[in-house]
Amino acid sequence: MRNRPSPLRRRDCIAVLLCTCLAISGCSEQRATNATPTAAGTPSGAGSGGSSSPRRLIFITNGDDPFWDACNAGLVEGAKRFGIESQGLRVVMEKNNGTAQGQIEKLRQLGSQSDVAGVAISVIQAENAAIVEEMKNLAAKGVKVITVDGDVNRETFRDARPFFIGTDNVEGGRLLGTTARRLLESRGKTSGGYVQFAGFTDNDNARTRMNGFRESVGGGYKEVDRMSDEMDLSKARDNVRTALVNHPDLVALVGIWAYNAPAIAEVTQERGVRDRLTIVTFDAQAAALNHMAEGKIDAMVVQNPFEMGIQTVRLLRAMHAGDETTVKEMFPRRGEPDGDIYTTGLRLIVPEAGSPLDANAVGEGKAGGVSVEVMPLPAFRAWLATYGLSSS
Amino acid sequence: MRGITKRFPGVVALADVTLEVGRGELHAICGENGAGKSTLMKILSGVYQPDEGDLEIGGRPVRFSGTRAAERAGIAIIHQELALVEDLSVAANVFLGRETRTSLGLLDDPAMHDACGRLLASLECQVSPATRTGSLRVGDQQLVEIAKALSLQASIVVMDEPTSALTESESARLERTIRRLLAGGTTILYISHKMDEVFRLADRITVLRDGRHVRTVARADTTPREITGWMVGRELADQECRQTRTRGAKLLEVRRLTLPWPEHPRGYRLSDISFELQAGEILGVAGLMGAGRTELLETIFGAGEPTWTGEIRLDGKPVRFGHPREACAARIAMVTEDRKRLGLFPDLDVAGNVSLCSLHEATRGGLLSRRREEELVAAPVRETGVKTPGVHASIMGLSGGNQQKCIISRWLLTQPRLLLLDDPTRGIDVGAKAELYALIDRLCRAGLGVILTSSELPELLTLADRIIVLAEGQLTAEFSRAEATEQKIMEAATGGWPDRLGSSRPDVAGDDRPGLRLVPGPRDDRPPIGKDR
Amino acid sequence: MPQPDTAKSTFLLRPGEWALVLAIVIAIALTAFVDANHSYWFRPLESVRDIARNTALLGIFALGATVVIIAGGIDLSAGSMIALSGTVCATTMLALAPAQMMGFKPVGGVAVAVGCAASLLAGFLVGTLHAWLITAVRLPPFIATLATLVGLRSLARALCESSTAALTPTKSALINISDPFFKTVRDNVWIPVAVFGVLAIVTWILLTRTVLGRHLHALGGNEQAARLAGIRTDNVKWFAYCFGAMTASLAGLFYMANESVAAPVNQGRGHELNAIAAAVVGGCSLAGGVGTVPGTVLGAIFLRVVIDAVSKIIKTGADVYEGLIVGIVVVIAVTLAQLGQLAKGGRRLLPGGLGLCAIPTLAVLCGGIVSMTAGGRAGMASAAGAALLLGFVRFWESRRTP
Repeated sequence: MRNRPSPLRRRDCIAVLLCTCLAISGCSEQRATNATPTAAGTPSGAGSGGSSSPRRLIFITNGDDPFWDACNAGLVEGAKRFGIESQGLRVVMEKNNGTAQGQIEKLRQLGSQSDVAGVAISVIQAENAAIVEEMKNLAAKGVKVITVDGDVNRETFRDARPFFIGTDNVEGGRLLGTTARRLLESRGKTSGGYVQFAGFTDNDNARTRMNGFRESVGGGYKEVDRMSDEMDLSKARDNVRTALVNHPDLVALVGIWAYNAPAIAEVTQERGVRDRLTIVTFDAQAAALNHMAEGKIDAMVVQNPFEMGIQTVRLLRAMHAGDETTVKEMFPRRGEPDGDIYTTGLRLIVPEAGSPLDANAVGEGKAGGVSVEVMPLPAFRAWLATYGLSSS
Repeated sequence: MRGITKRFPGVVALADVTLEVGRGELHAICGENGAGKSTLMKILSGVYQPDEGDLEIGGRPVRFSGTRAAERAGIAIIHQELALVEDLSVAANVFLGRETRTSLGLLDDPAMHDACGRLLASLECQVSPATRTGSLRVGDQQLVEIAKALSLQASIVVMDEPTSALTESESARLERTIRRLLAGGTTILYISHKMDEVFRLADRITVLRDGRHVRTVARADTTPREITGWMVGRELADQECRQTRTRGAKLLEVRRLTLPWPEHPRGYRLSDISFELQAGEILGVAGLMGAGRTELLETIFGAGEPTWTGEIRLDGKPVRFGHPREACAARIAMVTEDRKRLGLFPDLDVAGNVSLCSLHEATRGGLLSRRREEELVAAPVRETGVKTPGVHASIMGLSGGNQQKCIISRWLLTQPRLLLLDDPTRGIDVGAKAELYALIDRLCRAGLGVILTSSELPELLTLADRIIVLAEGQLTAEFSRAEATEQKIMEAATGGWPDRLGSSRPDVAGDDRPGLRLVPGPRDDRPPIGKDR
Repeated sequence: MPQPDTAKSTFLLRPGEWALVLAIVIAIALTAFVDANHSYWFRPLESVRDIARNTALLGIFALGATVVIIAGGIDLSAGSMIALSGTVCATTMLALAPAQMMGFKPVGGVAVAVGCAASLLAGFLVGTLHAWLITAVRLPPFIATLATLVGLRSLARALCESSTAALTPTKSALINISDPFFKTVRDNVWIPVAVFGVLAIVTWILLTRTVLGRHLHALGGNEQAARLAGIRTDNVKWFAYCFGAMTASLAGLFYMANESVAAPVNQGRGHELNAIAAAVVGGCSLAGGVGTVPGTVLGAIFLRVVIDAVSKIIKTGADVYEGLIVGIVVVIAVTLAQLGQLAKGGRRLLPGGLGLCAIPTLAVLCGGIVSMTAGGRAGMASAAGAALLLGFVRFWESRRTP
């Protein structure tokens, strides 16, 4: 075994090759940043470290889902609308891998980089103290931190963030529950069991939706199970199959996260049980829209991630620039209970024809103070097209 | 081959060696281990590339980048360690890499089967081409290798110690094959230590020593004594330990030892073995491969199957060792047969290898101390005469003889009173062998009891006080040194009923013995090519 | 006697390890330079803390992997053991103090201590299971630990769900941890680093200075010879696998503290391969018998430095490339060690038809990576460059050995 200088030289080659790889990537970074014209320097706060590239507003998702593509489109639109480039900012979306560890690591990494102006995060586990701590660490460094779409546990960790933007999931759940009840009653089923499907059953928005649904669908129907699939798409389908096998007399299936909708639609089709089930889902993936057009889904409560993206940029920009006016606009009841929540609207999408639902269906929903729009499917698709989106 | 030089890390294997071989001759190459014979042949067959020098075949310069190139040039080598794939059939091995195909491009098994059958028949081998190679005896496996070389239609065949694992009859069969090859015009390069073979077969002899060419002579012009003299650089007188050793108390007693072997038609590896050993005595165990010599030693040492029946008494007390550790604690030591597979630790240095069984003595305050380890191994290393660049050198850089001495040193450190040696001088050159004989003799005089297995009858006759012979798991004869001759031992080992005159066996009624097969059939030996992990 | 030895170390570390130190320094220097923020330059402390924390977490069970590899085995289940260990600890604490756990209040020192002890005990039991499967049932280590790789995680998940179903109102796939003990561990990065340091020293002493360590090396080097030399190989293997599993348990406790949750579904998933990579880059041989503690420590540091460098330089979406770059670095690190032998032994890097196909494969790979990071033009240029370079290598090789 040669133990003399040759291995030393060989290992130098690792370093050289590594350097080459990194240098190439580094060059790309420089090029990308140089491509966006920065007018005048950015007189940012302390610790800018002599970097003249724009400071970043980062959006950290909980996972990888087309829902976030719509949100991303909103971020881009918001960047244009509020002209953040001229203020030396740019907005970037970072997709997480579906674990809490991933979000913790990302927050730490951002903490050690000096060009971060603001962070918006859809927290994947509502009670995770480590995520909360990292958010607070970032805030202590002067980075503006808010939660979007997925919040922390509001009772215990509210002080982790000044503001939350997102759907009022309780209302969303209630809306879906009401819708489901009306559908079931119109079909003559006044009792029976239902199963709810989500990615994680202890994620804040999943939980609140499911609870809201249960509350408003009423005591006549029994929640037989809540099944989680950990953002694994094939598991989502398997869960539906398992539910159909274990509980042959279900009356309804409820999809809570965006990808649960196509999973339910396809499996019920596959098993030939579509006709005896009422299927209501959340969010509108492109595939789900097609399924509804084919009659496999009865109703969808759709969030507005596009709007979330726009409002995120608006808020973070305002926070970064110290623009109190805008902040006050967005949060008029700041200081009061739940005054730190900005709700983006909901839509109820129904098939064009043959649905027992109409614009009056959601009279109750209005009472929650949330704006609800009932749209037939074609109208919704048209709306999507105006922004070049395929899903929401 | 002209001016060949080859260097490996830390050692010059060959220095400016020149070898000229005539067409159609059998050219023997002799030398101690480490002289460079195998390396030279590996260069010829394309396994290694020389650092300097060139090769010419038939007057044309050639350069081999690999074994395939050498094969194309008509050179085939039969290595000492056989290179066969155990799980494939004989025919598959013979045609490995050059399989015959049908017109569709698929394997043409019947054609290969027939061709292989013809080759084997020409070699007097009765093995069927469809047999799984791993189940053959070493002798037959070697013939498969020769068949492979023949199928290549090689013009130059190199044989590296071909008879080291063969029985007498197989060696005779091999010699006939060699003569046939020579008559057909093949050139043969034959590496061997065995002077009798060399002098029977060779036309010319080349001697290498320490990587250099010493001499090339025609066989008729020299004697075995001269050749061995050139090999070691001095003339060796036959070593014999003439003075008798005094025997002490009865050390070991084995009674009716039987080791069952369910998978085999015979049903047992050892059957009804009984013998005794006294302190200060060397007991030789003779027998062919598969006779059960290694199993006997392993059973005594506690390293074999635990299903044996019978009795083993050490100093009169019955013992049954479940693990070699227990045997060590009882101060029994065993030096195994295949040191590379079963004895050496390639990643440890010489000191590590030697100290392994006695580590508790190399500690200071509970932790191993380098200095104490060095001190500990210095004495046995010196006593056994290990030649090494340093006690921290890598053990794989030592020659076979020195490696074996290291392993013996390891066991000597445990201060055994019974030493089991399983074929300790296999693959060791003449000079080192002599040193080992002297060492064993010394140990015996110091009061150790030694059981020694060997395939070389002269060795047993030199060293042992008494010799027992195993044949197919049974004890067929027992001789004292005075009455033993090679002839008698060989007869007993091949299963013929021994001549009752002059043998002293513990008496067992003849009718009790199960019948011995007189015609050897295929035997399921432990395959020499070990698969680890 | 002259002492040109080849087996023992030279000055303090082996040459390969010094080279690794050099590689680490160069990687850090390069990142400091290339990173647009110059984060290493201006705010080094945070990066040091992050790298130190991640290295300690990886290193703790990489040491366990090293011991198992030196003993000639392999342990694929470390990641699942991490998940199980966190779950066992959390479940124990939940069982002892359900109200406090649910209410995000401190559970008390006793519960914490018992939880941690239970975790380590679980490690011991799993190690024993491995050793039994491998020595008594004679499963190959790969198979035995592959089975526990999938089995333990599932077991952890079942444990989590059934214990939460029994002790809390809702069944859950994770248990939150909010005890101040774990919070302290999480906040002070020097705690895991210190534990790692102590463990490294202990392991180093074990491997180089004790009889058991020598036996481990012997077992890995030649198992049959070790047995015939009187070493109780079964017991040594038992130790090795228990050591591996218990270090994974210990790491699991730190993972749990770090994430403030015991989440058996994904915690530590795939991390056993990082540990094996760290050991191999640091010089362990998977055939057994070879390996050192300093090598593994340096290997862990090197891996984490590279990963951090990737994050710093490719700021956004860095984890997309992380796996790719780590894979490349590991392959290069191990291959370059053999490059010297390749050159001398006359073996070719790009032989025959296989080599010919390898050229476009490597060129496309290189070009693909570069175009994803630096744009299409640069990608094509680098692909062409790589193809040319490799073509030249092949040409040169064929000239060298006709």
